[in-house]
Amino acid sequence: MENEKKYWLDQPHNVDKIFWGLVGICALLAVFDVFYPKHVDFFWEDWIAFYGVYGFVSCVGLVLLAKQMRKLVKRDPDYYER
Amino acid sequence: MLALVLFVPLIGAALIALLHRRPAHRDLASVVTAVSLFGSVVGLVPRAGAWPSPNWVPLEIVPELQIAFGLEPLGLLFALVASGLWVVTSIYSIGYMRAHHEAHQTRFYICFALTLAAAMGIALAGNLLTLFIFYEAMTLATYPLVTHHGTDKAVRAGRLYLGYLFGTSVGLLLLAVIWTWTLAGTLDFRQGGILAGKADDATLVVLLALYAFGIGKAALMPFHRWLPAAMVAPTPVSALLHAVAVVKAGVFSVMKVALYVFGADLLRETGLSVWLMYAAGATIVIASLIALLQDDLKARLAYSTVSQLSYVVLGAALANGPGLVGGSMHILMHAVGKITLFFCAGAIAVATHKTKVSEMSGIGRRMPITMFAFLLASLSIIGLPPFGGAWSKWYLILGAIEAGQAPLVAVLLISSLLNMAYLLPVAVRAFFIEASEGARDPGIKEAPLVCVLPLCVTSAGTFLLFFFAGDVYAFLSQLAQP
Amino acid sequence: MSVEFSPGLILIAGAVLVPLFPGAWRSAYLLLLPVLSFAYLAVLPYGEYGQVLVFDYLLTTVRVDKLSFVFGVVFHLAVFLSVLYALHERDNVQHVAGLMYAGSAIGGVFAGDLITLFIYWELTAISSVFLIWARRTERAYRAGLRYVMIQVTSGLLLLAGVVLRVRETGDIAFDFLGLSDLATSLIFVAFGIKCAFPLLHNWLQDAYPEATVAGTVFLSAFTTKLAVYALARGFPGTDMLVWIGATMTAFPIFYAVIENDLRRVLAYSLNNQLGFMVVGIGIGTEMALNGTAAHAFTHIIYKALLFMSMGAVLYRTGTINGSDLGGLYKSMPYTTAFCIVGAASISAFPLFSGFVSKSLIMTAAADESYVLAWWVLLFASAGVFHHSGIKIPFFAFFARDSGIRCREAPGNMLLAMAAAAFLCVALGIYPEPLYRLLPFPVDYAPYTPTHVITQLQLLLFSALAFALLKRTGIYPPELRATNLDSDWVYRRLPLIVWSTVLLPVAHRIDRCQQWLLSRATSAAVTVPEIRGASLLALFVVLLLFSLLVTGFWQLARP
Repeated sequence: MENEKKYWLDQPHNVDKIFWGLVGICALLAVFDVFYPKHVDFFWEDWIAFYGVYGFVSCVGLVLLAKQMRKLVKRDPDYYER
Repeated sequence: MLALVLFVPLIGAALIALLHRRPAHRDLASVVTAVSLFGSVVGLVPRAGAWPSPNWVPLEIVPELQIAFGLEPLGLLFALVASGLWVVTSIYSIGYMRAHHEAHQTRFYICFALTLAAAMGIALAGNLLTLFIFYEAMTLATYPLVTHHGTDKAVRAGRLYLGYLFGTSVGLLLLAVIWTWTLAGTLDFRQGGILAGKADDATLVVLLALYAFGIGKAALMPFHRWLPAAMVAPTPVSALLHAVAVVKAGVFSVMKVALYVFGADLLRETGLSVWLMYAAGATIVIASLIALLQDDLKARLAYSTVSQLSYVVLGAALANGPGLVGGSMHILMHAVGKITLFFCAGAIAVATHKTKVSEMSGIGRRMPITMFAFLLASLSIIGLPPFGGAWSKWYLILGAIEAGQAPLVAVLLISSLLNMAYLLPVAVRAFFIEASEGARDPGIKEAPLVCVLPLCVTSAGTFLLFFFAGDVYAFLSQLAQP
Repeated sequence: MSVEFSPGLILIAGAVLVPLFPGAWRSAYLLLLPVLSFAYLAVLPYGEYGQVLVFDYLLTTVRVDKLSFVFGVVFHLAVFLSVLYALHERDNVQHVAGLMYAGSAIGGVFAGDLITLFIYWELTAISSVFLIWARRTERAYRAGLRYVMIQVTSGLLLLAGVVLRVRETGDIAFDFLGLSDLATSLIFVAFGIKCAFPLLHNWLQDAYPEATVAGTVFLSAFTTKLAVYALARGFPGTDMLVWIGATMTAFPIFYAVIENDLRRVLAYSLNNQLGFMVVGIGIGTEMALNGTAAHAFTHIIYKALLFMSMGAVLYRTGTINGSDLGGLYKSMPYTTAFCIVGAASISAFPLFSGFVSKSLIMTAAADESYVLAWWVLLFASAGVFHHSGIKIPFFAFFARDSGIRCREAPGNMLLAMAAAAFLCVALGIYPEPLYRLLPFPVDYAPYTPTHVITQLQLLLFSALAFALLKRTGIYPPELRATNLDSDWVYRRLPLIVWSTVLLPVAHRIDRCQQWLLSRATSAAVTVPEIRGASLLALFVVLLLFSLLVTGFWQLARP
């Protein structure tokens, strides 16, 4: 793999760039909530960055819970073959 | 006409005996006999409406005790199934018996023809006495076929065969026939039965039990052991006799007793056959479970037959319109499917000398046609559309619901799943799993054409019957009329 | 008696002839069949056709109306894409089975009565299982056997329900059924098995990942969506479905997070997407049913696309475990791009197809004030992005470079993926043609500022959560493992019961009767290849028996 083409993503600092770019976009989106008239069905949707916070919390909760679930359901790959 | 149907196989048997020294002519005679028998049975179809009176009485022992023959839809169906499938079997046997270098082929073909003669006698019997005589004749005619190989194992199986079938028929069935005679004063098969109002319910329950178990050929548990034992016979015997003619003679007799001795109305109104429904239901499930555990393909198929026969018994016991139609239809649907499975088992044995299911992985590559036919027939036995078996199951379920017997619906559904569990692995492993021992097969090597052709015809039959079931229904629905 | 026949029959009959065509002719023929069938459907005006008298029942084998038409159209798209994707495959079994399967599903959608539906219902079961068996491994064989047993169980329950209904009402029409009595309950459960309701779902995750590369693409489209169609036809507005559907959207995503086999991850997310459709059926308003139909339409395409891309990875690298893959964007750039399009669509990014269909269901839930369901669906929307939108492309194509270098997918696969990706984007940008196909008039504009902004917020913050968890090392690593799910009940429990209860009992009895034990043990030992099947059969026997005996008790009462 010595002479293989080097890809942009192979550089760790480029990955960092993506991450901070994502943080920036998220912040912008959250702030943007203030500036346009929302059409909502439920009152809580009016809260600033409601969707963002809910998405973030959901995903963190999902992963943490799934991690705990592993303790319960994880078995060897050949569990059913034995 | 009726006489013709009875005598054709007898004449054929004589002809086969005469041609003893010329195998080619002898085999041809067997095929010609089968074809002409089928032709003469088909000739009876337009006259099926002649029921109820027996229209041919060759012998009258005392008044009301006669040898009599008659024609009614159920008997005609049985005769059509047995003689029709005999045509394909007679062709198949030629290939099988020659490829296997079987001895005593003339005896084999003679007994085969005699068995068919007995089957025709049973199909056309106009009263219980005639039925009983031909029933016993059939046991005798098949005995040499079961013990054909003459080995210790075959002789032992033959003893079991005679023991069970004669034991039940003489010990129970004959008793039931005599008892019926004393109660009703006649043995005629009559539309609506002959026993209504002739005895109290308790007596009738006992009598029904004597019939149900006495007709050992229906293989109702616990009198089923003779059938797996009979699998030592050459495969054509297992195919036509122990999947069609003999066993169907059994369930046909049960059906006939239910319809024309007890009468559907009597059974339905007094509920005296409820126990029989559950005995049949138990046989369906238990025999399937045993079939799951068999590694020998023919033994697996034999237990499957035991299980499927009880579908017909169940239909007779339900004694309502859909139950009777479903049960009778199953005589046909199961026959075509199961004979295919046995043909395939025989073809596998001829081409590869394999009899164990666990050895059959990967043989689909060598015998694609045979195994594909096996797959289609399996699907029909399971009762899946688009195969004939789906419709008989439909009517049996409808009958069970009409009788308010919920657990029996469950039994029928469960039976389908069990059938899948023991039939599908055979064909699927043959096609999709490599043989474990790395014996690279040189390509396609099917059994001889005369073996493969019949099984193609019958497996196509399972498919076609799905679409022509309407005609069978129209034919059989006369049974349900009171 | 009319001469029209079901469009599905063109595919079924055509499939039989496939082995007769050599080489390139076969490819042309395979692609021609769905086109022919579609052309036939297109010229068939709405109405009922193919009436046949079977026994005493008048069957309506073809019914074309708005609801069946939209499913019919997308099924044709799916079969065309799948056939194109499978074109390189030399194994005719897969082509024949795939076409028959698609044809039966199409036949099922256009079935106008319950008997015809039952026939096609069972046909989909037996034709599809060959796509699993065609993998030709012991594992696939067993998975297929389990799959087909469960599918046929669904068919048998349908049969029992239909027979009971025929007996009680004399009516075989397949219209609104409603959950009102035992007959319709049985039919409901039958649909539920095929639709992978919670606890009845595990056949899907068990079997789909074991199928062949092309087989999974076929499988992903038809069985479950036929069930969705059947539910939408028979049980719209059944309140229970909202809760069943909400559960379906939520619980599979937990499994998806920890699952290593990426095609199994997709199977879990397939289950989650079905949940959205089921919720729509449960709500039952015009908008909700439109949402279900639209979501089924877009879902079939993007799910096929995702399975295609993962199939291509499996085809080229021989593995599909997240733990073994990574860095494949270098070798398979086009596949990567197409996968990302599919991922964006399933996550409902604006401008991709999922966005224009899922929002119909969300809005319908809000309109009818299903508050709890709405929260769950929103959670699931974030979750689906998390495990399908990010996890799939990330672990296959990016993540840590696994060092695997392979060729790009074959041309026909790329073409199929490109076509599917094009549809995903096209429907996302310009949804009007799809909206016009829907069963009820659509008065809905997906691209409002509120909708676009809130959706972007939801998705990008979810992405942020993923990135953060990954960087901090909290994210659970991909591990080779089997995760227990409800299939444990029929794959392991009978074995445990057998060895801890039945065998000791047999030993006890054996002191007096030698034969019993010899039979009991020989059964398990000498016939190993049927062991799995027999255990499953035993389990199903017990389950069905208890279910049916209790259920049918009503019948016995006068």
